[in-house]
Amino acid sequence: MTTPTSSTGLRIARVLPDLCLLAAMPLLVYSVHRVFMSTPIEQSMGTAFKIFFFHVPMGWLCMLMALISGIAAAVQLRRRSSGAAAVALAAAEIGFVTGLGVLLTGPIWGNATWGKPWTGDARQVSTALLWLVIVAYLLLRHYGPRSSDRLAAALAIFGAVNVPLIYYAVTLWKTLHPSTTVVASLPKEMWMTFWPGLGGLLLVSLGLLGLRIRQLRLADELDAAWVQLEDPPR
Amino acid sequence: MRLLRQALLLLRSELRQELRDFELLLTAGFFTVVLLAMFYLSFASLQAKAHLHALPGLMWLTVAFVGVLTLTRVFDREREADTLRALLAAPIDRLAIYLAKAAMALSVLMVCCAVLVPGLWLIFPAAQAFADQPGQTALLALLGCGGYVAIGTLFAAGLATGAGKNTLLFIILYPLTTPVLMYALVTTRALIDRDPGLPGHLMQMFVLDVILFAAACLLFETVLIGAPVRPHRRPPLRPSVHRDMSREPSR
Repeated sequence: MTTPTSSTGLRIARVLPDLCLLAAMPLLVYSVHRVFMSTPIEQSMGTAFKIFFFHVPMGWLCMLMALISGIAAAVQLRRRSSGAAAVALAAAEIGFVTGLGVLLTGPIWGNATWGKPWTGDARQVSTALLWLVIVAYLLLRHYGPRSSDRLAAALAIFGAVNVPLIYYAVTLWKTLHPSTTVVASLPKEMWMTFWPGLGGLLLVSLGLLGLRIRQLRLADELDAAWVQLEDPPR
Repeated sequence: MRLLRQALLLLRSELRQELRDFELLLTAGFFTVVLLAMFYLSFASLQAKAHLHALPGLMWLTVAFVGVLTLTRVFDREREADTLRALLAAPIDRLAIYLAKAAMALSVLMVCCAVLVPGLWLIFPAAQAFADQPGQTALLALLGCGGYVAIGTLFAAGLATGAGKNTLLFIILYPLTTPVLMYALVTTRALIDRDPGLPGHLMQMFVLDVILFAAACLLFETVLIGAPVRPHRRPPLRPSVHRDMSREPSR
């Protein structure tokens, strides 16, 4: 028996991912329109600067997803929670996609700005490393032995530890990369383009995260039901 | 003290086993020599200036390759005899297992470094700095291998408890140990260049090693056998097919 409050909560949790995706649609259309039609071209970097509006949000989302995955993995280890394991896996998958986006758009922007797609810059290297850790985590979760979930969780925790290193890499190692304060110092018209884009991509990520978690939980329930059918309790 | 005594006891058993057939030392040592021969064939004809740039990479790539081989073999012994389960069930602190295995892997890697560093010096004259600063070189090797082993032992142990798929260690270990190896590369470069900032680099490596060892010690038991099972505070309201069976109270 469930209380009315918990059943309302469950219903909200069920429709939340769909709501996120629905809300993201107009934001993304508005953001893309602003990037290409309303935002002035940056003086020193030219048209290539427009990549910034996709590259930076994807970088932030990749770090956010790695953090979510690491925290969920810690909860999974501490409480043996299959729900937390599903959150960790789903967040890592979204982190994989956003990380790939960062690693693809970064060199395009770098080539236009620095004349070289890859400079071995500390933030480039640490982001690539984070992405490799996410890939290793996904490989272990999908192809590892049955007991490897705990091992994968430890891997996700190490990945999350990498996040502050990436964020402060430009400060610690004085690299070519723009500093962490660049977004705050944007002129108003660029600022007005950046935040809707970030909001749209964030909503898409959260929506996909929610859907994937639900799918993984359903797969778990299906497995458990199958086991119960094969081996009913006496 | 008890933990240390247990770890030393396990390490002594590991060493005794190793001294019976020298399997780890011979395979890892031979692999180091093979890598040195391959480096010689590939890079000896390059100019001395290029050797200076290549040396740190050659040294730590060798450690990375030999390290995986060693860590796999350290736990393969337990897997083959199915003794890891027995060790985990024994009335000892599980952390002692981690410490003993890490110390064993570190010892083997240090022996390999004792072959590798003079080997590099013989092949590439640019490695003269290693011979000029033996103390710093030994400390660098110890700190670099220490960080590598700290993470490696945790994940090798985790994979050893499962069935098969030991090849996954290569996939996990390289992305995770790259920060340690990067620090080691920068420090080796400072050593070769006789940089006065070398002690600072070595200190950074030491701090990184301490952090990695602490993290691995915290995670070891949980990764290997899972968190202790805690009983439910109250019984579930209704039977559910998707409840987490591992959280059920033991009867």
